[in-house]
Amino acid sequence: MVKIHFLLEDLLVEAPAGTLLQRVADVAGADITFGCRTGSCGTCRVRVAEGLTNCSEPGPEERDFLKGLDAPADQRLACQVTVQGDVDIEYLGL
Amino acid sequence: MNTLETILRDKVLLLDGGMGTQIFARKPTVEDYGGAALEGCVDLLTERRPQWIREIHESYFKAGADAVETNTFGANPLVLGDFGLSGMAYELNVQAASLAKEVARSFDRPRFVIGSVGPGTKLITLGHVSYQDLLASYRVQMDGLLDGGADAILIETCQDLGQIKVAVRAAREAMAAKQRRVPIWVQATVETTGTLLVGSDISAVLTSVEPLGLDVLGLNCGTGPDEMHAHLQTLSESSPFFISCLPNAGLPLNVGGQVVYPLAPEPFVQKVLHAASEFGIAILGGCCGTTPDHIRALAPGVEKLNAPKRNPKLERSAASLYQSVALKQEPAPLIVGERTNANGSKKFRDLLAAEDWDGMTALAKEQQREGAHLLDLCVAFVGRDEVRDADELLSRLIPQITLPLMIDSTEFPVIEKALQRSPGKCVINSINFEDGDAKARAILGLCKTYGAAVVALTIDERGMAKTRGQKLEVARRLYALAVGEFGLDPGDLIIDPLTFTLGSGDEEFRGSAIETLEALQLIKAELPGVMTILGVSNVSFGLNPASRHVLNALMLYHGVKHGLDMAIFNASKVIPVAKINPEDRRIVEDLIYDRRAEGYDPLKSLMARFSQRKAAVADDHRADLPVLERLHRGILDGEKQAILADVDEALKDHDPLKLINEVLLGAMKVVGERFGAGEMQLPFVLESAEAMKAAIKRIEPHLPRESNYQKGRILLATVKGDVHDIGKNLVDIILSNNGFEVKNLGIKQPIETILKELEAWPADALGLSGLLVKSTVIMKENLHFMEELGLKVPVILGGAALTRDYVEGDCRRAYMGPVFYAEDAFEGLRQMQALVAGETSAPAPAPAASATGEIKVVHRGGASVPLSVTGQSSWVRQDAPPPKPPFWGVRELSDDSVDLFEFLDEFALIRNRWGFSQGSQSDEAFAAVLRDKAEPQLARWKDRLAAGRLFQPKARYGYFPVRAEGDSLRVFDPVFALQTLTILTFPRQASGRRLCLADFFSAERTDVLALQLVTLGQGAADHAAKLYREDGYGDYFAFHGLATELTEAYAERVHARIRRELGIAARDLAGRALFAQGYQGSRYSYGYPACPDLEGNGQLLDLLQGAAIGVHLSESHQMDPEYTTSALVAWHPQARYFTV
Repeated sequence: MVKIHFLLEDLLVEAPAGTLLQRVADVAGADITFGCRTGSCGTCRVRVAEGLTNCSEPGPEERDFLKGLDAPADQRLACQVTVQGDVDIEYLGL
Repeated sequence: MNTLETILRDKVLLLDGGMGTQIFARKPTVEDYGGAALEGCVDLLTERRPQWIREIHESYFKAGADAVETNTFGANPLVLGDFGLSGMAYELNVQAASLAKEVARSFDRPRFVIGSVGPGTKLITLGHVSYQDLLASYRVQMDGLLDGGADAILIETCQDLGQIKVAVRAAREAMAAKQRRVPIWVQATVETTGTLLVGSDISAVLTSVEPLGLDVLGLNCGTGPDEMHAHLQTLSESSPFFISCLPNAGLPLNVGGQVVYPLAPEPFVQKVLHAASEFGIAILGGCCGTTPDHIRALAPGVEKLNAPKRNPKLERSAASLYQSVALKQEPAPLIVGERTNANGSKKFRDLLAAEDWDGMTALAKEQQREGAHLLDLCVAFVGRDEVRDADELLSRLIPQITLPLMIDSTEFPVIEKALQRSPGKCVINSINFEDGDAKARAILGLCKTYGAAVVALTIDERGMAKTRGQKLEVARRLYALAVGEFGLDPGDLIIDPLTFTLGSGDEEFRGSAIETLEALQLIKAELPGVMTILGVSNVSFGLNPASRHVLNALMLYHGVKHGLDMAIFNASKVIPVAKINPEDRRIVEDLIYDRRAEGYDPLKSLMARFSQRKAAVADDHRADLPVLERLHRGILDGEKQAILADVDEALKDHDPLKLINEVLLGAMKVVGERFGAGEMQLPFVLESAEAMKAAIKRIEPHLPRESNYQKGRILLATVKGDVHDIGKNLVDIILSNNGFEVKNLGIKQPIETILKELEAWPADALGLSGLLVKSTVIMKENLHFMEELGLKVPVILGGAALTRDYVEGDCRRAYMGPVFYAEDAFEGLRQMQALVAGETSAPAPAPAASATGEIKVVHRGGASVPLSVTGQSSWVRQDAPPPKPPFWGVRELSDDSVDLFEFLDEFALIRNRWGFSQGSQSDEAFAAVLRDKAEPQLARWKDRLAAGRLFQPKARYGYFPVRAEGDSLRVFDPVFALQTLTILTFPRQASGRRLCLADFFSAERTDVLALQLVTLGQGAADHAAKLYREDGYGDYFAFHGLATELTEAYAERVHARIRRELGIAARDLAGRALFAQGYQGSRYSYGYPACPDLEGNGQLLDLLQGAAIGVHLSESHQMDPEYTTSALVAWHPQARYFTV
């Protein structure tokens, strides 16, 4: 199990390694808004404040999307990233 | 002394305006021209009416112009020849230039004379005139202008890339002969189409003329200043030369049979000065329709401008007639197609021998489709006239090919002929020092004259360089000659450190790949800026095709890692390294790095391993394949036209039913598998389905009566309250083209209606679809309803808001019959296939816990944010005063010519709506799909939309005074401010920030709520329906996706307008970031997470009077027609998307 800490509301969640962050957020009721859920709208953009290396590598779609926004490397799409270890998540849609 | 060059460094130079306009204002008569046969020969008026020309020059100088253009636009022997005056060309140029000089000298401060050289009347690129004749004609004009004293040569109003190069050469040669150097200026004319007359875009122009070393590259004529912006921007970012801008006085209007240019001096000046500061323009003036009044009005503004500072960055590129292609591709390498080569391709050689020029052109086009970036072209063939063959082929090829060419020849006359035929910037392949440097020098001379890049092989008098040290040594010498002596840009020197075959087993070459790879690295490190290339497939000569593909792919891969920029390669045979079997890869890499060991020789292992294997990549001899194989291919490749002939042939001796069941459906199965594996994109799948449909239609009349090839039946519907069609229609397309009978009931179907249909048309399964979150609830209710009726028919559910957990848990619990989740159309197909084969029994519902799995909240810190006294979330700050709208109430925008594409989110369109996703493809392969499929598709639709009036975009938007009251917004009448029009109520988050849309508006004072409604009109919806009816699956799908995104783009546009009008646009981000809420405030639409209930659309349409633009509400609270969207706009800086 890995720990996911949503910083906005200080919400700490446990999930099996390899779970999609979107699923964690949905189930735990984290305050993150999802739009298309396919990695092309950017509504669920988050900053991985800690544990970036514990996140799955971006797939080509996510990589291309974030590149289009000139997003720094610690920004990810919550609907695309799976967590492999402990992470701190800061929602950016604020 | 103040020369043009020094002045340009200090200030912006003001040129004159139109010459023709001024001459025609004097209404020249036949007498003025000197006879009826000479009527219209404006250049002749310099001699016949010199006083006019003098007056015109004076009027412009008096208006403040620093320089005037000579009256020599058509004064060259070719144009004057139409009046029988060729012989006067030189003299007219001398007269015009000296007359203008005389006027210039009569003014106080330095004034200049610019020798005008027009485009002439014949397009060299289209073969109207030969290179030599055009060059000779321009030479006479240049001689005259120089002898008359012109201070610069201005090659202007250029419509043809080929013509520019000839004219520049003529100017250079004239200057060399007279030993008098003046600046060379070039001005292209970009039409309203966005290209020059012959189709070149401005990047192609820049790439092609840049090596010629100009002083100025700018734009004149064609359009007014506004239309030039995009092209000026390109020049501003990339061109190393000064930029000039001489627009017309707007786009011409036809007023009572007279051409009128609409821009008066004031607006013209405003637009031109805006462009000047925006794009760093160094030279301003006017063209058609501009007068001394325009120039006079422009002068004070120009006076105030400082000399522009730009920081241009030019990517080294090659160019075709049409476009520029960067030599450094991201990701590397640039692929040079190798099949149009008489030495390398038997097919091409045969076509050449038969002089089948069209066949050779087709082969070139094929490589373009396969993803090549550049085309290597070699027509050297023993016993043939290579110069003539190059000329014949290029004259046909160039207008038809969008890729730049690599001229593959070592013969000087062939290269020169090819360069004369090529309007763009070519790459010459190649030079070397085999017989010393004489030949290399000659060819480098051609590079300078015609503006070309060159491939240089590491061969010298000792032969081919084999070690890294020798390779580097020859590379240094090539660099010194090409860059040091001839002044080529290092990026135009492409060094090939040579590849030798590893297939021979020859001891001498065992380490040759290592030497080549190391040399690449050394060359890149030591010679900054140079490019590198390899003929990669040489590495595998002598091996069988299957092993060649793998070895070539890995050599390419390691080459790129060592700094390889370009590769000569068969583009269709690029295989992603990730797809190579790991054992194959190990052996091949051992071969490349010569890792032999006792008893182990990778070459022998490779040969043994591949001895039985066939090349996996398709060959190009389709016609030789058996007909059934061709049918199979036809489906996979989606060839709906070509497949018909194959169907006819196959029907001659095959059973029609078998053709469908075994061949066609078999091929569709492969399509499904490839889609599932991420190897095939949705648009290609749809093409396959169209081919399938076409093939079946052709076969159907041949089927024996009673015969039924269909496997089963499914009834499809989008559930009540949901208008979303597309997902369901994709399922229809896929199932009906995979042998199932489909009845598609359409959208908004109440369960009662669906079940009635089912009674009349018993089916093997019911398919329910819906996009909205609400639809997932409706689906479950429908299942309840069916359960109460005791039904058992299997149900397949699909739709964006569904999840597998929900279907397999909640939905299965609601209904005892089988319930399946289909993530996409192919999963639906698999389930239908399993169902009719009796392979599935009713699956048990998943345990309720599965919805959460093992996800556990450990700690929920911080209590929820308290609500304020006004009942609003205290997380939202209410400190900033509301902005002032420019008006209260509603306005309508209806402009058919509104540019919907400006705010189009191409990423969302291509990746999401059109389904181009990379899946398991390599970056290179997917980049090729985007370039060759997705982007051209978008370009085609742009053209189609520009040609036909499919959209009637209309919008209404406005500003309303509001006040927040708890979870509601009270909307006041914009005129009678005390009267309440309506109250909008929104849901609130139950915990956490406890946000509600109303919180972004003040409860203390009157705030402003903006509302907007946009539609593409009924015509768009009708067109989508028509495409679907007519089985144009690909078109339907593409159109639907595009129209949906353009609706969004229009909404984005209106939202941007609202921000501007409210004065909150300062935080707007540029580019794609804008689409991810890159602005202050937010735009909320009903049906989305912050306000999920569609009911609100009713109040919104009432407030905006949507009926005025034909928008109505359906009974399920959705807006009709289809491509329509509405929104509430909040200006509050903390207003962002949130989920209730």
